[in-house]
Amino acid sequence: MDFNFPILSLLVLTPIIGALTLSLTGSEQLKNKTILLSGLWISVGEFLLSLLLPIFYNQTQNGYQFIEFHTWFDQFDINYFVGVDGVSIPLILLTTFLIPICLLCSWNSIQTRVKEFVIYFLLLESFIIGVFISIDLVIFYVFFEAVLIPMFLIIGIWGGENRIYATFKFFLYTLAGSVLMLLAIIYIISVAKTGNIQQIAGFSFQENIQLILFLCFFASFAVKVPMFPFHTWLPDAHVQAPTSGSVILAGVLLKLGAYGFMRLSVPFFEYASIFYQPFIFSLSCVAIVYTSIVALRQDDMKKMIAYSSVAHMGFVTIGIFTLTSDGMNGAYFQMISHGVVSAALFLIVGVVYERHHTRMIADYSGVTNIMPKYSFFFMVFMLASVGLPGTSGFVGEFLVIMSTISVNVYLTVFTAIGVVLGAAYMLLLYKNVNFGEIKSSIKKLNDLTNIELFYFVCLAFLTILLGVYPKILFNMINESILQGIL
Amino acid sequence: MFSFNLYLPEIFILILILFTIGFGVFNKDVSISLNTFGFLFISFFLINTGFNFYENYGFTDNTSKLLVLTKVILSLGSAVFILLAKRPLKNDNIYRYEYILFILFAILGSFVLISSTNFLTAFIGLELQSLSLYLMAAFSTKNLNSNEAGIKYFSLGALSSGFLLFGISMIYFDVGNFNFQDISSFGYMSEIGLALILISLFFKVSAATFHIWNPDVYQGSPTVSVLFFATLPKFASLIFLFRIYHEFNIVDTQSLNYIFQIVCILSLLVGVYGAITQKVIKRLLAFSSINHIGFMLLAIMSYQFMSEGTLFFYLIIYIITTFGVFSVILNLRDADGELTDISDLNGLKSLSRSKSIAMLVFLFSLAGIPPFAGFFGKFFILSASISEGLYLLSVIAVVSSVIAAFYYLTIIKNMFFNNSEIELLTDTNKITQFIFIISALILTLFFFYPDPLINLVDSLFS
Repeated sequence: MDFNFPILSLLVLTPIIGALTLSLTGSEQLKNKTILLSGLWISVGEFLLSLLLPIFYNQTQNGYQFIEFHTWFDQFDINYFVGVDGVSIPLILLTTFLIPICLLCSWNSIQTRVKEFVIYFLLLESFIIGVFISIDLVIFYVFFEAVLIPMFLIIGIWGGENRIYATFKFFLYTLAGSVLMLLAIIYIISVAKTGNIQQIAGFSFQENIQLILFLCFFASFAVKVPMFPFHTWLPDAHVQAPTSGSVILAGVLLKLGAYGFMRLSVPFFEYASIFYQPFIFSLSCVAIVYTSIVALRQDDMKKMIAYSSVAHMGFVTIGIFTLTSDGMNGAYFQMISHGVVSAALFLIVGVVYERHHTRMIADYSGVTNIMPKYSFFFMVFMLASVGLPGTSGFVGEFLVIMSTISVNVYLTVFTAIGVVLGAAYMLLLYKNVNFGEIKSSIKKLNDLTNIELFYFVCLAFLTILLGVYPKILFNMINESILQGIL
Repeated sequence: MFSFNLYLPEIFILILILFTIGFGVFNKDVSISLNTFGFLFISFFLINTGFNFYENYGFTDNTSKLLVLTKVILSLGSAVFILLAKRPLKNDNIYRYEYILFILFAILGSFVLISSTNFLTAFIGLELQSLSLYLMAAFSTKNLNSNEAGIKYFSLGALSSGFLLFGISMIYFDVGNFNFQDISSFGYMSEIGLALILISLFFKVSAATFHIWNPDVYQGSPTVSVLFFATLPKFASLIFLFRIYHEFNIVDTQSLNYIFQIVCILSLLVGVYGAITQKVIKRLLAFSSINHIGFMLLAIMSYQFMSEGTLFFYLIIYIITTFGVFSVILNLRDADGELTDISDLNGLKSLSRSKSIAMLVFLFSLAGIPPFAGFFGKFFILSASISEGLYLLSVIAVVSSVIAAFYYLTIIKNMFFNNSEIELLTDTNKITQFIFIISALILTLFFFYPDPLINLVDSLFS
């Protein structure tokens, strides 16, 4: 198909240019709301622009589309080489969809340094999109790392009391993982003489070298996902981050790791992927069961949802490393579904936090009487997180569990236990917050405002749509997964 | 075989020195502009004569390019530095014309050092450079710390010169000659001699374990002088170190290569280990520069895979960043004068947007976080070292850069997350302001348009 318009570069550049324009305006002249509004318009424009991708994407054609190629470092054969396939487009859409919501949910909660806030979010958006569109390893790494900078500042400036500890931990953990990947990338480029992901996937490395390289990539992605022993930064970062930071962190940043596994680890290192299968399965099982149990005992709502994220991402890693078509599809579906649902759950926590300034479960009781609309949406997303059929959470988990049967039955048992535990803590959370006696301190809380209602409706619509008609996503990804990854 | 043309760049500097001695006494401002133009002229002259300038005089093709490029950068750097130095010197009440003379002598020494083909010439160049530096460290004569820094620098520097001389004499004992090219095969005596020479050069570039002077001297000396120490003379010494490594094929001499590797590892680790606990900005920058020296030594060691290019690229980026960082620091003052502690930077964001954002760029660039140019410097060095098979060193290098990120982040934390406790005054100095804005722009825009810098480095050394 003829589509010569450089839409991908435009997607990366629009937020950057928007951020630059904002930063050049004087800080005193513009009111906070005007800045937020202009940021919102830029990100909405970006979302509309990104909608062109699925419209013009040719599902019958293999490989990357909308390709752009510019030489960048001639001497090293490192190029600005971008393109998208079915695996990247939904994640790009998820990003552009969540960023306006992040700005919307900060409408009242962010009062200081609003301009910086909008600028960092726009930069974050363009870096994340950069990760998803790159076909060159170096440019992938550049964007992958650059994401840390705005996120570091967002948590550090607008976070809670313990924000500096959390943001340092987040930055250093992720950086430590990533530099090992950098070494592996450099090695791969020096051996394969190219940075092109497609060509490297066709290149077969020696088996023992694959084992080392895989671990280097694993270090980076496992921290990002996060997998079990490397997950400790996540609860801290989530608890301290502002609501919008949590939303983008849970919604998209965690998916960078899983996307890395799908896009790089599995296609590059076929032997190592099979070799390390038991290792990754056991880590993921521990993640699913252990973090679910940990989540049961949390008294902080955000922390509970953070731990549930670790458990849900455990399904994703299991699904990816079953190395079957079902598992991959399920894992990918789970990624998108978790992106929507966990983002929505963090927004749910943010709504009451903004009104009552506490995240402790014990401080809430009987909210459903005071805020009926709120508890309705809470229920929708809680059930989606549990995996009720008809919501998006069900499809991904179901496919992953189904695919594990052909690989290892014990895995099925553990994942199933994880689902049950997930239902336990989410229902407990919902019960404690929404039912019971009405606490006197929460009687004055207002129900959802129109803005909140708007984004919850959008998210709930997406959740139900994906749950009822999952084909809309599978049509997009299935072919790309079969051709590009397995 | 005496050729007048060969010495033209050095002769130009000598003329500048004579002019400065003559007119500087009467008018400092004139001599500043004169020297700026002089250095610009020298760089223009060198570019104009072409990068093969030294090839006609018995240097190899690559060495000639190396020398010309180094001299161009040194003269451009000095032109900028002389312009920049005026205001801070005035602020410290030490604005005297001798300072410009020291700069000139140091640059002359650096020129002689890098283009020497003979150990005695190299010694003279190095001494000329070092003596000027000692004086620049002690230039704030009323300030005890500055005097202490000067004395420390001098006594330790003299010791290292002693090592250098001793090493040279051992080589002479073995070979009976001072010329680099005549020392082709050497016995254990020359090996020890070369080791001593290396030690002396490691001292000059402040590689660990010869770095102890570095934080103290940085802390005591006037900040402008520190900017000078950290950039131009160090650059020249590194290029000379590279030439030594190259000319004597140290990679094939196992014992010397071990020394090199150990010093490289120690620099990487000692630099970050020392910097983590520092509370004083200049000490922190001193330790961080030791870490960067480790990276540069790694670049020197992996020279077979376009090392001149990687080393040069890293050095250029490092110099630009250092100029930027120091310009920001020189641009800020509190009630008692210069900023000293990292906590003095608290809340810089609310005071000056441009300065804090520029600092953000510099620090992330130093930490090697993409998309800033510092990342690509590290990336190219690691590419070279991995192609060379130095896996252990590369792993240590990246691990050290993760630890390094911690203290750079601490500074960013102070600027962006904390509220200011003391009254900061901004010194609206147009030149420093211009320099840090330009540096930050270069480091950022490199990502979008790397061609000019990359092509320059690549066209010379591929």
